[in-house]
Amino acid sequence: MAGKSGRTIQSVQKNSLKSTLLSWEGALAILFIALNIFNSIISPSYTVTNVLREMPKYLCEIFMLFPMAYILILGDIDISVGSIVCLSATMGCFVCNTGLPVGLSFLTCLAVGTLCGLLNGIILTTFTELPAMIVTLGTQIIFRGIAEITLGSGGSVSLKNTAGYNAIAGKVGIVPIVFFLVIIAAVIFTVILAKTTFGRKLYAIGSNRTAAHYAGINVQKCRLIVYTIMGLMAGLCGMFLTSALFGANTTTGQNFEMDVIAMAVFGGIATTGGKGNLIGGIISAFIIVLLRIALGQINLNSQLILVIIGALLIIAVLIPGISSSFKAKQKMKAVE
Amino acid sequence: MAEDTILELQNITKIFPGVKALDNVHFDLRRGEIHALMGENGAGKSTFIKVITGVHAAEEGKMILEGKEVHFKGPRDASDAGIAAVYQHPTSYPELSVAENIFIGHEKMKHGLIQWKVMNDEAAELLGRLDADFGPTEEMGALSVAQQQMVEIAKALSTNAKIVILDEPTASLTQNESQKLYRIVRQLRDHGVSVIFISHRFEDMYELASRVTVLRDSQYIGTYDVDKISNADLIKAMVGREISDMYPKPEVKIGDELLRIEGMSRTGFFKDVSLDVHEGEIVGMTGLVGAGRTETMESVCGITKPDEGKVFLQGKELHIHRPADAMKEGIILLPEDRQKQGLILSWGLNRNVTLPIQEELASHGFNDNKKENELSKKYLEEVDTKAVTIFEQASSLSGGNQQKVVVAKALAQSNMKVIIMDEPTKGVDVGAKAEIYGIMGELAKKGYGIIMISSEMPEILGMCDRIYVMCNGRVTGCLDRGEATQEGILTLSMENSAKHEHAETEAHS
Repeated sequence: MAGKSGRTIQSVQKNSLKSTLLSWEGALAILFIALNIFNSIISPSYTVTNVLREMPKYLCEIFMLFPMAYILILGDIDISVGSIVCLSATMGCFVCNTGLPVGLSFLTCLAVGTLCGLLNGIILTTFTELPAMIVTLGTQIIFRGIAEITLGSGGSVSLKNTAGYNAIAGKVGIVPIVFFLVIIAAVIFTVILAKTTFGRKLYAIGSNRTAAHYAGINVQKCRLIVYTIMGLMAGLCGMFLTSALFGANTTTGQNFEMDVIAMAVFGGIATTGGKGNLIGGIISAFIIVLLRIALGQINLNSQLILVIIGALLIIAVLIPGISSSFKAKQKMKAVE
Repeated sequence: MAEDTILELQNITKIFPGVKALDNVHFDLRRGEIHALMGENGAGKSTFIKVITGVHAAEEGKMILEGKEVHFKGPRDASDAGIAAVYQHPTSYPELSVAENIFIGHEKMKHGLIQWKVMNDEAAELLGRLDADFGPTEEMGALSVAQQQMVEIAKALSTNAKIVILDEPTASLTQNESQKLYRIVRQLRDHGVSVIFISHRFEDMYELASRVTVLRDSQYIGTYDVDKISNADLIKAMVGREISDMYPKPEVKIGDELLRIEGMSRTGFFKDVSLDVHEGEIVGMTGLVGAGRTETMESVCGITKPDEGKVFLQGKELHIHRPADAMKEGIILLPEDRQKQGLILSWGLNRNVTLPIQEELASHGFNDNKKENELSKKYLEEVDTKAVTIFEQASSLSGGNQQKVVVAKALAQSNMKVIIMDEPTKGVDVGAKAEIYGIMGELAKKGYGIIMISSEMPEILGMCDRIYVMCNGRVTGCLDRGEATQEGILTLSMENSAKHEHAETEAHS
């Protein structure tokens, strides 16, 4: 019945270099370059070799950025991940210390993480009216509680045999193995989010859960999958953190959830759901990591570093609002 | 300026970023008059109201209230000057009581303490004047939309408003509730209050207004005496062109049975509903709001779970557990609330159209953007969507065009057989309404079975081959096109409730 009016609708999208540079990701990329220049000015020891050597313990956290971005895009949140890291690292260490093969210890980390994530997912998808913030606050306390019980009165566990964990803490040339793994994970998670039907579903659910349901998307299944992956990646983080620290204690992974959420938000992923992409998230993660390394190198006290990063985060959330109101004013002038 | 003019607006121009929302608009309101304000969606009615109520300040123009020029800096100034507005969706505090809602912002105080007794008594008196069937201490959230509106009107009265503005008050009301509202509005007028009434329903205007002002494309078209302008002329003024045939119902040969529902029930919502739809048939489902029409169809489509009942498609029994199952079989529900249930407003039109079929178009789980864009362009054009590109955000379209996008979404699913449209023209303006009816007719010609849930009598009578009437969760009758009349439908949609009420009063006595 082709349109009565014979009106046609354009289906060609213009993508100019200017719009790419003006996007949030473009701005972050520029900031990333500027930060590197700034870092090498303030810190004489800011060299590729040094930075790569200090990176592994920060890189572990980035594993969790990817699924956290998914969760935020769904319009959900998970603040139990720091505790999952602690619990899986603790369990991994104990299994390793019993003398079982180190492979089983790795597997324990991943399995414990996955189970924790699955538990979050099952609770949230069974009782859909519960807010994710509260449920994961509950499991945050539970998971860390279980870890503390396991750790006992000493509150910590050290690896008796570090050989196995040393292997995954190794390097290829000057680049740590974990760096490669982060990059591989980054590519996989970014592509799934941006190019696949699954990624599209996550955006649909986060933008309008009811409409997504009406459009035939199995909302709860998607949430369950994503929360479980979140657990798995937290387990992976716990495993690599153990390889960097050779043990676990009651404060392992503390505040990791906030670090990861901060990276995502700084990268332009809205906590209200449906907005942002992983490219922004990954650049911002490296910005935060590199800033921490450089400020650490010049012996700035770590509390002050937190203040600086917190301030940056608030500025980052403010900018989109300011720029949109600026654009609105421009448009207003154009009409007059 | 005539002696009895209470409010006059001259040359009002209001600019928003990127658009002129009002362009040189005039308006005058007489004391004790009911004045209708009409125009299509986006014509500028709501903006105009917001200028009067001080929400927006106009860039140009004069506003004269009782002979004096006024400049409102905010809604407070307007309400102090005796202007009150009742909006389409009451902006109340659901957790507070009726009395608190009425007196919010001007509570009865003594020595800094709220005088609960005084406030409740006065609220009760106001509600009594409006003939309300609820008390001042009831919780606002427990009331129906109609009752909440009544509270809003009581609130307007409590401030001794001289001018009351009603913004589409009948949009979510049933026939009965509308009648009651008409009575209240006339009562206001008889007490010397001037009323500005915005509505899409011509019925409202003919019932109430003595004059009507028409806006179109942000411009003032004219002010007419209601009894001196013909319906066709008024539509022409609103739409800017003549609509020759509002209900283009094509003669379609009714084919084989598509969908059949047998004995479907869901406790508390509907009971023992059976109905069927054939190829090329447009079937109406009408009744009062809350009769269980939407709920029935939601169960058919797997959005909610029915307690019992069977669904057959082309003679084969289906087992539908979620919307995806229904869509796979070829049944789709286009929900009533397009913005909340039908569309992802922040998304482009293209992705909205292809969301349910993205997996069919994808290869190995990867989205095929090219295919998606081609398909969405094809179907958006087929329903004649007013859009420049397929990447436009759904939120930027008018209600009527959003509805078209929802229809395009259904058409893009190649296996679709039954399209269930829930209030397809709600909040849609006259011109776009006619277009949507046109699309429905075309779909019927192509052999789709269509179920239209609607409370609007004219479209039910104008478009449907058969009409099911529901009342209190039951189907009370099925009328053929030939035998259906407005009275017949009304009787069927109320007969049970009358009986029910009767039974209840008997039980009480």
